[in-house]
Amino acid sequence: MKGTRKWLRNGTPFIWLNAAAVSLSILMVAGLLLLIGWKGLSHFWPHALYEFDYVEADGSRTVIVGQVRRSEQVQYADPEAGEEAPSEPSRGFTRILIETGNRDLAGGDFRWIRADGVRSRATPADLVVVERQEWGNFFGRFVAVDRAGERLSGDAGWTAFLEAIERSRKLQDEIAELQRKVVGRINYQLEKNRLAQRRLVLDGGHDPDRARELEIERAALEREYWASEELLVDLAGQARRDRVVLETADGERIELGLDAVVDTWRPNTLSAIGKLGHFFSKIGYFLSAEPREANTQGGIFPAIFGTVVMVLLMAVVVAPFGVVAAVYLSEYARQNAVTRIIRITVSNLAGVPSIVYGVFGLGVFVYTIGGGIDHLFFEAALPAPTFGTGGLFWASLTLALLTLPVVIVSTEEGLARIPRSMREGSLALGATRWETLWRTIIPMASPGIITGLILAVARAAGEVAPLMLVGVVKLAPSLPIDGNFPYLHLERKFMHLGFHIYDVGLQSPNVEAAKPLAFATALLLITVVLLLNLVAINVRNSLQKKFIGLDT
Amino acid sequence: MNDSVLIDEAAEATRSPRTAQEAGRPALRIRDLNLYYDQLHALKGVELDITRNSVTAFIGPSGCGKSTLLRCFNRMNDLVEGCRVSGEILLNGQDINSPRIDVSELRRTVGMVFQKPNPFPKSIFENVAFGLRIQGVRKRRMLDKRVEWALRAAALWDEVRDRLDESALELSGGQQQRLVIARAIAVQPEVILLDEPCSSLDPISTLKVEELINELKRRYTIIIVTHNMQQAARVSDRTAFIYDGEIIEYGDTDQIFMNPLTKQTEDYITGRYG
Repeated sequence: MKGTRKWLRNGTPFIWLNAAAVSLSILMVAGLLLLIGWKGLSHFWPHALYEFDYVEADGSRTVIVGQVRRSEQVQYADPEAGEEAPSEPSRGFTRILIETGNRDLAGGDFRWIRADGVRSRATPADLVVVERQEWGNFFGRFVAVDRAGERLSGDAGWTAFLEAIERSRKLQDEIAELQRKVVGRINYQLEKNRLAQRRLVLDGGHDPDRARELEIERAALEREYWASEELLVDLAGQARRDRVVLETADGERIELGLDAVVDTWRPNTLSAIGKLGHFFSKIGYFLSAEPREANTQGGIFPAIFGTVVMVLLMAVVVAPFGVVAAVYLSEYARQNAVTRIIRITVSNLAGVPSIVYGVFGLGVFVYTIGGGIDHLFFEAALPAPTFGTGGLFWASLTLALLTLPVVIVSTEEGLARIPRSMREGSLALGATRWETLWRTIIPMASPGIITGLILAVARAAGEVAPLMLVGVVKLAPSLPIDGNFPYLHLERKFMHLGFHIYDVGLQSPNVEAAKPLAFATALLLITVVLLLNLVAINVRNSLQKKFIGLDT
Repeated sequence: MNDSVLIDEAAEATRSPRTAQEAGRPALRIRDLNLYYDQLHALKGVELDITRNSVTAFIGPSGCGKSTLLRCFNRMNDLVEGCRVSGEILLNGQDINSPRIDVSELRRTVGMVFQKPNPFPKSIFENVAFGLRIQGVRKRRMLDKRVEWALRAAALWDEVRDRLDESALELSGGQQQRLVIARAIAVQPEVILLDEPCSSLDPISTLKVEELINELKRRYTIIIVTHNMQQAARVSDRTAFIYDGEIIEYGDTDQIFMNPLTKQTEDYITGRYG
């Protein structure tokens, strides 16, 4: 009894409670990361391709080729899927989800099979996965390839097939490059030309010389456009030259142009190192390619790019504003009831739901300011809005507003930590208040400012809700930065990792196929935030080191 | 330290020449100075003449107003909210409380060193060069010359000459205080205010700073606030005893310590109160 009282009094249970809470938090974070990492990364692993000898519910035998996604224990059969009620309902039965691919032939790329219907399963070495531009993956066997009119089959054919893919991929890269650089530029100039002509009309059209000039320019651009269009058609024809013949498990043959093939591999023959190589090359592709098939296939490069550009732009906007506001509040403003109220308001702003900022951004930035800008400077483009619709700049501004309180508060804290003696020392040397602030106080407060920026970046990179109102789209036709003047296109809509997760996870036409992508994107979002933060933390630490021992 | 080092002709040329006539006059003339913190009457009708090129010490118990008086001479009290000053402080014939005075200019003429060493978190060189850069000195050669001169004058050059680019925060407390003095004299002030400059230093550092003060008084008018009676007796030529915002007694240090005129001064000096 006495021992227990002593145990309670010296605080041991409280320490245990704290330790338990901390461990629980760590476990939860680690568990979350592991789950996301596992689910996301396993998507890129070349899983074995099985051939099942399967007895259908009606007793007929079929051959099913596919990759095992998962299996589960169910109590009740789904008659729509052709499942028979088990003989003993209380025990239920096991069913397996198979990714069967071949969406164009079978009408879907997943199916459930009963575990007890599987007679045997094997992993034949000759099964291939063909990743296609459309219709998802093809699972089956390679038959032959037509290379420049010459038909090759067997091992020679397989080698020729791989070479043909490589050739077609290079041609398609060339096409994409041409489209982005040359056609993109011509289109951009054509649009500018169209707007210039329209402006001329709006101005009253009293400048025939200029009109003729523009007309000549337009004709030249169009000639250039058709020339490159011809080049593109020629390249596309070359990419389409070779064809491949494939056969599904039930003997159906299809023929594909090589321009429709992205990649192929035989998962059952890959060695461990080969699988690892495949894994990393697929991750590389995911990071660098553009999305296909309503975002369920391909990569997410535009989303990474959009997120990073938007966050950096936000940081560029919020840092000076936040610092100036904090400096005024704590250095210049008279400390009285008004400044106290302002401080409380600023802190409370950090708690306003982010969607409210989105609505504000839409109403004020997009419609009012953006609409005004359009009327003043982009009248020729109307009724199509330029700045009067969501875009990169408005999204960055909205997020800057959202993160402003964080930057103000931590900058003020940084300023408050600077000892009075530093200000007095500087003033006593004949520095004005401004010089003191600029040469002494702000450099010393910079770790606090960077801390605010770290928090702001972390918050902004993860925010989705307000962005949906002010400029994020499912698929942006072009990146916000390109080779056309002025290089950074603030008015363009952009893609964002957070929105991409929402879109792939919930808005996708093929949820089962897209699920791993949602996890992979989530993992990537975490990585991007982490990287941005690591950079900022490094900067802060080097600044702090400079001002170490500053406690007088 | 030798005298040739102290006399830097280039630096000297930048200052206004002192006429012989001016040399004889007091550096600071304080007439009927009153200071209020809101309702508190902190300085009451102070009248003082500070002798040029000498060391004047302010002594008195804590809270008597000696630091406040010191901070009037470079208007550091401007930073205190609710502080009002009346009366005259004449520096070279001009009232420094006049609104026409450029406070930055005044603070360059009247330098100050604080109780705790407060070097900026910059390199040793940049600390000393700070005031010069504020004044717009850009030329590297000029900066090098003036920084070396100031560090020599503050008897710190030999200790830091090889590590001018290191952080000033890595110096010892005594070195930091001498660095701060170097920083103050780098801008060539006429008057240097020392606000208990040795209170946070060890005895050896204190000794060094006191030697430095003795050296500096040849060229600068020095006013020092101190709690330490022996220090006042050692370093100062004239001493003012302040009590409750009033100058109780002001005279030659020897006279104040050997032969005080008032009972109050005697009691304080002999340690009977305060």
